[in-house]
Amino acid sequence: MLGELRLVVRQVRYEQLSFWLNTVGATFTVGFSLLFLLMLGASAGTSRISYLHNIKLVQYYVPGFIAYGVMSAAFNTLAISLVVRRETGLLKRLRLSPLPTWTLLTSILISTLLIAFLEVIVMLAVGRLAFGVQLPSGASGIGSLILVLIVGGLSFGALGVAMSTLIPNQQAAGPLTSTVFFVLLFPSGLWFPLRSGSALAKISTFFPIRHFITAVFRTFSHPGASAWAGHDVLIIVIWGAVAAAFALRRFQWAPQRT
Amino acid sequence: MPAVSVRGLVKSYGHLRAVDGVSFEVQAGEVFALLGPNGAGKTTTIEILEGFRDRDAGEVQVLGIDPGDRRSGQQLRSQLGVVLQELAVEPFLSVRQVLQRNAGFYPAPRPVGEVIELVGLAEKADAKVKTLSGGQQRRLDVGLGIVGRPSLLFLDEPTTGLDPAGRRSSWDLVRRLSGEGTTVILTTHYMEEAETLADQVAIIASGKIVAQGPPASLGGRDQGAATIRFRLPQGVEPSELPMVVAGAGPTVELRTDRELEALYELTRWALEHEAHVTGLTVSRHTLEDVYLQLTGADPDRFHSDPAAGAPVPS
Repeated sequence: MLGELRLVVRQVRYEQLSFWLNTVGATFTVGFSLLFLLMLGASAGTSRISYLHNIKLVQYYVPGFIAYGVMSAAFNTLAISLVVRRETGLLKRLRLSPLPTWTLLTSILISTLLIAFLEVIVMLAVGRLAFGVQLPSGASGIGSLILVLIVGGLSFGALGVAMSTLIPNQQAAGPLTSTVFFVLLFPSGLWFPLRSGSALAKISTFFPIRHFITAVFRTFSHPGASAWAGHDVLIIVIWGAVAAAFALRRFQWAPQRT
Repeated sequence: MPAVSVRGLVKSYGHLRAVDGVSFEVQAGEVFALLGPNGAGKTTTIEILEGFRDRDAGEVQVLGIDPGDRRSGQQLRSQLGVVLQELAVEPFLSVRQVLQRNAGFYPAPRPVGEVIELVGLAEKADAKVKTLSGGQQRRLDVGLGIVGRPSLLFLDEPTTGLDPAGRRSSWDLVRRLSGEGTTVILTTHYMEEAETLADQVAIIASGKIVAQGPPASLGGRDQGAATIRFRLPQGVEPSELPMVVAGAGPTVELRTDRELEALYELTRWALEHEAHVTGLTVSRHTLEDVYLQLTGADPDRFHSDPAAGAPVPS
């Protein structure tokens, strides 16, 4: 077991090396959600949200884009990267090596989350320094944020793996994943907070995205926030568990060539 | 104990029996070549031996382990080397980094520097994988196959896409590994490759093994009639020759299973008559002839000439 954990750490190191050596790819993966936040934050100016305790709009955007960054890494990037690895034979080659398969998948997931959490730290810093946003504070606020991000990262990671099993080939990976992600993102209140009771709010209640955005939002200290959002987290966990079961049943190591 | 033993192996995909009762053995230290057209069942058979695919029926032992048994999968894979048809390596890592990473998967790996030397990538050791040429990627693939110091090495078309020099050095490497006691199972489309490297050859077609044996005698090609061909000397009619020949052109041929006598008669006649016989060849079926006939790719090849007889015991 200890030996296998060492293998995971070693494999994570090579995953990171492989990611960062692709400088252009790495820059845009990490920078994309930050760029989004900067643009929306700048255009929001001093606007406030009258129906949400009159908080500043940017106070809503920072947690929203932190959630977006984690989802985008764990779901989009992971799904596409798994399809590319499967179709180019990378997964098959590793499956044929004595590396235990769980250590391989775990290290891919950990590596993805490390990159996502780096994005989170950058966005927290930008939110505080550039927009004067109030960050989570106190042990309970910070603890809740970390917990929500880990649970969300794992659940959306499981959804990403599940998604990858539905994608037939490399060329379809980007378009399919983006379509699913952005269609579900639209009613989930990333670009503007949803009024509770609206049609969009009702639709998005079913999906995990809005719950994740809300859960992250609630860990920030501002009027009306409560550090804990149990019901949101529970729904995210359920989605993650179902996705994980689905992914384990359908996971393919060999190229599908369809 | 043989390194690999396969008995009555069956694997179906839907209604298609991709592997249909295949049996063979590979002795330790042997080079075994599996030949056959695309879709004949080669890859499926090999993937079952590697433990990558489950079988439907039959008995398989690889290095004394049943590859279908998940519990011993890791123990088996730590003794196997696999070279796949396509390069599958992270493009942004360097040759050395990829080899170092994979070396860490095995209990007693070969030193990475030694592997780089063996596959001839010393000059490219610190280059990113994506900058390698096709042939260099192929050699990296072989390097990844041998870095774990495998007892059994699978090579799936190891020299496809290599230039002649690259092919020669790959062959040297296979001979060297075999000399060190590594058992090698390879698939190839090049008959010359099978003939030079393999101790044993099996030809597989439509999921069945249709011939098996040392390449020199496969399908009985070392026995039976030989073909003697030569160019008719200027001004000589076929009827003036001391034997009956076929063909009207400048080149005539005769088939005989007593080629020494026939040659003696021909050369004696030529010397006595001061006839200038050129282009003289004596041949039996090439491995390719046997292959094409057995795999049904060219069914008329032998039967067009009734004198040829049946080259293959059926």
